[in-house]
Amino acid sequence: MMQSLKEIVTNKVSGLTYGNRLILPFKAHFLKVIIEKDVITDFSNSSCGINIIENENYTDLYFLEYKNLDDVISEFESIKMVVVEKGKDIFDFKNHVKLNIYLQDHHKISIEETDSDILFIE
Amino acid sequence: MKRIILLSVFVLLILISFQQSYAAVSEPVKDGVEVVNQDAVHHILPSPYMVIPFVLLLLMIASGPILYHHFWEKHYPKIAILLGLFTASYYLAILNDYLSILHTLAEYISFIALLASLFVASGGILIKVDKKSTPLINVLFLLFGAVISNIIGTTGASMLLIRPFIKINKDRIKPFHIIFFIFVVSNIGGALTPIGDPPLFLGFLRGVPFFWVIENVWFIWIPTVAFMLILFYVVDTISVNKQKKNNSEIEYSGKMEFKGTKNLIYLAIIIISVFIDPGVLSFVPSLAPLPFGIREIIMFSVVYLSFKNADREVLKANEFDFEPIKEVAFLFIGIFLTMIPALQLIAYEAKVYSNMLETETFYWATGGLSAILDNAPTYLNFLSAAMGKFGLDINIKADVIHFVIQDDIYLRAISVAAVFFGAMTYIGNGPNFMVKSISERAGIKMPSFFVYIVKYSVPILLPIFFLVWLIFFH
Repeated sequence: MMQSLKEIVTNKVSGLTYGNRLILPFKAHFLKVIIEKDVITDFSNSSCGINIIENENYTDLYFLEYKNLDDVISEFESIKMVVVEKGKDIFDFKNHVKLNIYLQDHHKISIEETDSDILFIE
Repeated sequence: MKRIILLSVFVLLILISFQQSYAAVSEPVKDGVEVVNQDAVHHILPSPYMVIPFVLLLLMIASGPILYHHFWEKHYPKIAILLGLFTASYYLAILNDYLSILHTLAEYISFIALLASLFVASGGILIKVDKKSTPLINVLFLLFGAVISNIIGTTGASMLLIRPFIKINKDRIKPFHIIFFIFVVSNIGGALTPIGDPPLFLGFLRGVPFFWVIENVWFIWIPTVAFMLILFYVVDTISVNKQKKNNSEIEYSGKMEFKGTKNLIYLAIIIISVFIDPGVLSFVPSLAPLPFGIREIIMFSVVYLSFKNADREVLKANEFDFEPIKEVAFLFIGIFLTMIPALQLIAYEAKVYSNMLETETFYWATGGLSAILDNAPTYLNFLSAAMGKFGLDINIKADVIHFVIQDDIYLRAISVAAVFFGAMTYIGNGPNFMVKSISERAGIKMPSFFVYIVKYSVPILLPIFFLVWLIFFH
């Protein structure tokens, strides 16, 4: 059974990455994704930034302009995103969650809620 | 491929060093750098066509990130190195002039050592300010940044202060905040010392006395920075009033925190090491024929030690990445090598057309080119031209000192224009791109290359620079 976003962050549940694909163990509305210097807010079908595919228990994000995420995200960098968990009110700012995705070894990614040290303007 | 490029540069360096060692045996070396400089005077003039690699590289730097972003991101190191090696090969194989290349490499190593050490040392410092900004606090912040950029460089100040500046404005940050930061902290602020901005550091390396800049530029710096801050205050006040209508509030704890204190020691070491040069302190040994000295060894040691000993949490919070400095290192090895023919030709042409070149020509020409090219090589080109006007050679330290004493208005015009106009575009000065990059990584949509010019540089900076010209150089 899929865990809530809060449980995923608290229990430090990992996601996965392969090439330009990010596999996130939750379903959400994506509002903003920042990778390197690219600030992506267009998630429509015509977007050439990110292709989002929702599956039963996870979500795939394909970064179309990158071949391999490992090549662009270094040790201290992260992919940042503002998301709203599926089922929650997208118009309530309290439901907007800022996440930092860090790439680790063996295709694993860690999902952390952005702390106050990290610069992240919604 | 990267290894091949690095290997090529290394082999080139070794070859030139060996050639210089051979030359040193055949003629006694008095002072490594001076002999190299004096010999360089007798170089053969290159073909004008050899300026093409320089122009090509600068055009690609301007257009690459906009028109063919991904190709450029992937291939810029190869392009810069190959164009640089092309020029170096021409000098070595056809002109048999290895001294120009050696001299340039020495200058490049000094330049990149300073930038890299400031970049890495300041990247290990985290200033947390959880305080609500007001237009006055922002003005004081920018003023502090402008002053400190003369002590730790525009690169160091930009790296250190851009994050806290974004943080204190997090509830109302707009692109204009970042743009004014670029104008004041990343460029104009650093016009008072050779540490402030790369072109002035290159001038210092060529023989311009360290305190000449502050003694001769302060009366232009104060009104320009003041005018810029007043303008920012007005724009920011309007922005705050609009924000109040929107009535969105974020809570601030009012806390201030400083992490990575030990890196302040590294910053101090970098600043002190700037003076550790045989030309400044006679007891400092020269490492000639090697194209670097004790100063560069200290600076590169700081790069290694400050990164190795940095607080990992601070690096994570700063999202530290070597990419920005890697970009500068690769692009500038290409720029430094390809610009050698341009420097020599401009110096020669200036001698021919010396009567036509006046102070205002130097101000606008240096400024205009600093805006669209990089301001460091532009400064050198026009310093070379101004000295050529009086039959002096930029490669001779004594000539530079003579020029500084006798015709200081030209150097003042070139120094002010090179530093100030660097703010006109993202590519005008190294830190501009770094600040843009950090802001974008923080989620701020920054204006494109052309919008930056049309919406901010032309309406704000050009009138101010026009006034500077009218008052001080007309």
